[in-house]
Amino acid sequence: MSDYLFIQSQDPFTEARTQSHYQLAQTLQQAGHKVSMLLVQNGVIPARHGAQSPLFDELQQSGIAITADIFSLAQREITLQELKSHVSPGHIDTVIDAMLAGHKVIWN
Amino acid sequence: MSETKTLTFAFMDPPFENERTITFFRLLDAALDKGSNVRIFAYEGAVALAFAKQQPHGNAVHGRETVEEDHPLTRDWITALQHKARVKGLNFEWINCGLCVDERGVNEVIDGCGRGGPPDLWRYASDAFNTLTIGTR
Repeated sequence: MSDYLFIQSQDPFTEARTQSHYQLAQTLQQAGHKVSMLLVQNGVIPARHGAQSPLFDELQQSGIAITADIFSLAQREITLQELKSHVSPGHIDTVIDAMLAGHKVIWN
Repeated sequence: MSETKTLTFAFMDPPFENERTITFFRLLDAALDKGSNVRIFAYEGAVALAFAKQQPHGNAVHGRETVEEDHPLTRDWITALQHKARVKGLNFEWINCGLCVDERGVNEVIDGCGRGGPPDLWRYASDAFNTLTIGTR
């Protein structure tokens, strides 16, 4: 079993490949790996209340720990109160912590 | 005392064009904050990040002169990270892909940034504790 961190910079509204990104994360989770995801850049867009994305809703229900980069949220004027229930605010150093822990870190 | 780990980053985006560049520099800064040695292999457009002849400019639309506009330059960000690493006693190495440099004619780079090729990426990745490749997609 491995630990994976996905850095998700794409959003499902403007990049069709996002569906595959989400699916890969969920497939690894279902295979027994520990998977987490950090949303950065436009990747934070579907995490906002009112953003309608069945793909992201499915991701939320998968058990994958989802964190949204506070800097990226602020750039888009998304407040922490506007985040969906399964998304936690976090920082970019989450990536470095994962790398230093030997986790597999994947940029999407 | 724990051994200082080295992290390698491979990056290919040019300056001034994509938000990924900002995120990339934030990651480098965070890596130094965490006490890691940092190695960067820059290829394709990213070789221009260290181009020494980058120049700031004003903003005529907003009526601001060059100094007032304070346009950020990636070469200055690299210099700042080099300084930060020195202060913290960490290594900060930067290698540009030589072929990519020649294609773009950006041979003049700031001090501390070297020229190499794909074998350097292999060496960096092999020696590092962990490696992150940031693709364009």
